[in-house]
Amino acid sequence: MAKIIGIDLGTSNSAAAVMLGGKPTLIPASEGTTVGGKAFPSVVGLTKDGQLIVGEPARRQAVTNPEGTVVAAKRKMGTDHFFKIYDKEYKPQQISAFILQKIKRDAEAFTGEKVEKAVITVPAYFNDNQRQATKDAGQIAGLDVVRIINEPTAAALAFGLDKLKQDMKIMVFDLGGGTLDVTIMEMGGGVFEVMSTSGDTQLGGTDMDKVLIDYVVDSFRKTSGVDISKDSAAMVRVREAAEKAKIELSSIFETDVNLPFISYDQSSGPKNLELKITRAKFEELINPIVERCRPSVTKSMEDAKLTPADVSKIILVGGPTRIPLVKKFVANLMGKEPEAGIDPMEAVALGAAVQAGIIGGEVTSDIVLLDVTPLTLGLEVLGGLREPIIDRNTTIPTSKSKVFTTAADNQTAVTIHVVQGERPMAADNVSLGSFNLSGILPAPRGIPQIEVKFDIDANGILNVAAKDLATQKEAKITISASTKLAKEDIEKMTKDAELFAEQDKKKKEEVLIKNEAQQSIYAAETLISQQKDKISQEQGVQVSNAMKELKDVLDKGIEEIKPKLDLLTKLINDISTELYKNATPPPGATGQSGPETTTQNGPSATGQDASNSPN
Amino acid sequence: MHDVSQNDLKEDQEYHDKNDDEIKSEQQLVETIKVQLEQEKDKVSSCEKKIQYLLADFENLKKRSEIDIQNRVNSITDGIILKFLGIYDDFIRAKDALSKQDTNTDGLDAILKNMDTFLIEFGVKPIESVGEIFDPKLHEAISVKEDLTLDDNTITAELRKGYILKDRVIRPTLVEISKRDIKEMNTNG
Repeated sequence: MAKIIGIDLGTSNSAAAVMLGGKPTLIPASEGTTVGGKAFPSVVGLTKDGQLIVGEPARRQAVTNPEGTVVAAKRKMGTDHFFKIYDKEYKPQQISAFILQKIKRDAEAFTGEKVEKAVITVPAYFNDNQRQATKDAGQIAGLDVVRIINEPTAAALAFGLDKLKQDMKIMVFDLGGGTLDVTIMEMGGGVFEVMSTSGDTQLGGTDMDKVLIDYVVDSFRKTSGVDISKDSAAMVRVREAAEKAKIELSSIFETDVNLPFISYDQSSGPKNLELKITRAKFEELINPIVERCRPSVTKSMEDAKLTPADVSKIILVGGPTRIPLVKKFVANLMGKEPEAGIDPMEAVALGAAVQAGIIGGEVTSDIVLLDVTPLTLGLEVLGGLREPIIDRNTTIPTSKSKVFTTAADNQTAVTIHVVQGERPMAADNVSLGSFNLSGILPAPRGIPQIEVKFDIDANGILNVAAKDLATQKEAKITISASTKLAKEDIEKMTKDAELFAEQDKKKKEEVLIKNEAQQSIYAAETLISQQKDKISQEQGVQVSNAMKELKDVLDKGIEEIKPKLDLLTKLINDISTELYKNATPPPGATGQSGPETTTQNGPSATGQDASNSPN
Repeated sequence: MHDVSQNDLKEDQEYHDKNDDEIKSEQQLVETIKVQLEQEKDKVSSCEKKIQYLLADFENLKKRSEIDIQNRVNSITDGIILKFLGIYDDFIRAKDALSKQDTNTDGLDAILKNMDTFLIEFGVKPIESVGEIFDPKLHEAISVKEDLTLDDNTITAELRKGYILKDRVIRPTLVEISKRDIKEMNTNG
């Protein structure tokens, strides 16, 4: 079935998105990403010779062709206004149709399919005329507009609020390039209803850019005595540097505007613009603009007859809401933090795509809505460590297997303990169950091969099977609750993993070094017993002593084990090197051969006696 | 005999009745199985359809991923080259300033040459502009100058050089253009 796309037809910028593999994805503009990200300016240019230019190229030619350039046609939608361009008249919906045609082309290039249907968003305050005009624009562009939805509703869909299945009041604070829209909505039974709208059509990010540019120009005038405001080449550089500084100050506290050779003076030579801007200074500059948002928020609350405490979710939309001061302002005013996780520049287009997906049956379809494992599934190995088998967020159904081995000589059974969670120690995770595989043929440690297979079906049922590859003996367990966890539990377990990360890392290191120590002791014992005649008595005593010393500190900390372990490893290595040197190579031998050995972190399974080791 | 034959008939009848019942129940069973078979067929065909869709989705995803990876690589390369171009611009400005002060810039010229080679190696080409007719795909107009001797939209000055990386305009050239009559220009919007 052909895709339905979602379109955010904005006043200053437009963007579109489509559901891909069950996820809303932004459609990049054909001319590539610009300052506005994947969105493009809602500018249309018609040249004297009848050429049509839309988006970023239209913005670039605006100065050369002011009569043929239309910006913000959205403001005139649903009115009788005509744009007169070179003796021809265009209705606002015709101009919007040019933008929609470009989106249609870009979407077809992006999806590789024909695009004929769309969901288009409009401001919540748009009346029937304006909505009809938007629909007409779609029709002119060759798009069947299957639904017109409110921009704040689209934003709420992008944040997945409709899935929360609870009644709530939502405030959408949409601060764009040149307009502020505040909407209060009520959601009940998955239906959004607008309670009030308020806003300011002459307030936005452009005002903030302007104060910052003015500040840079003024500072330079004060320090150098030169006014660069009339120098268009210099001003282009200042504008770009200010934009960069604005973005940087959203994540760091101080940035440098550094524009060498910004002007040249015959008498005093070149002049450089160097200016440090702190976030505090930037906030001081834009604070009056941010404050101008206050009346709109207050009014929307009054009209909806609500207090801030009644509003349970706040959504921020528009580029300027990325600025920490704006976020803080809204949070302080409403007494709670806004929702996070979706780019505020993309939220409306993404939400429109979600709506398109719902209409197209894509979102509810079980083909697309695949589940994921919320937490890592693994098993307990030597020393109580957790060996992950299926990582968290893996899409199910899935199956993965790993080969493990025994930790003790002549071990005939292993216990498979299945755990779920993000912590490196098995005991810190949730135990899902355990079972034994017995009947393993007696063999030295590290020889038996036991394949453990984790298989989760589409319903989240986990089957774990362990098989001795030599005897083909198998044992298994079925766990039905592996993916059905409460959201809070998943969050708590994930948070715990972060919280205890440092502590867990230490614990894991300790276990790893203990495992290594036991491994070295085993290797030393084997070496001495097998190579008795080839090792000098002195060497034998040295190794035995080192082994004993290491055994004595096995239950102590890393600091004590490490030097003893290093000593024993060195002694073993020295002896092995010597033995190899003295050994005559077999005829035709060109390199080392022998059984494959696994690495330090290689597979191993918990033994029946809980004394397993890797290899 | 009479009785026997009556009995026989009765038994025969019973036998037939029983047989009829069995046939009926077997027929019913066949019907039920047929219905179940149809249901199973439907299930299989819906599963097949799902698998086909999934396979198609998977194939599309693979193609999409390749494009996405390429786009991401392009966007990172563009970003690095753009940052470099900023420094390159400053370097040219520094050289120009020194030339104006009659300082020897041979060493700087050599460095610039290395930078030019670097740009060529990465496939970065400058966009020529002065004297050309304005093209919004390559240029961005910053100002307009009245000039009766030139065709409308002829580029008269370059305020900042633009570049193409392979087939992508990573930075348009900022230009000043000419118009025969500036007063004639109205604004719209």
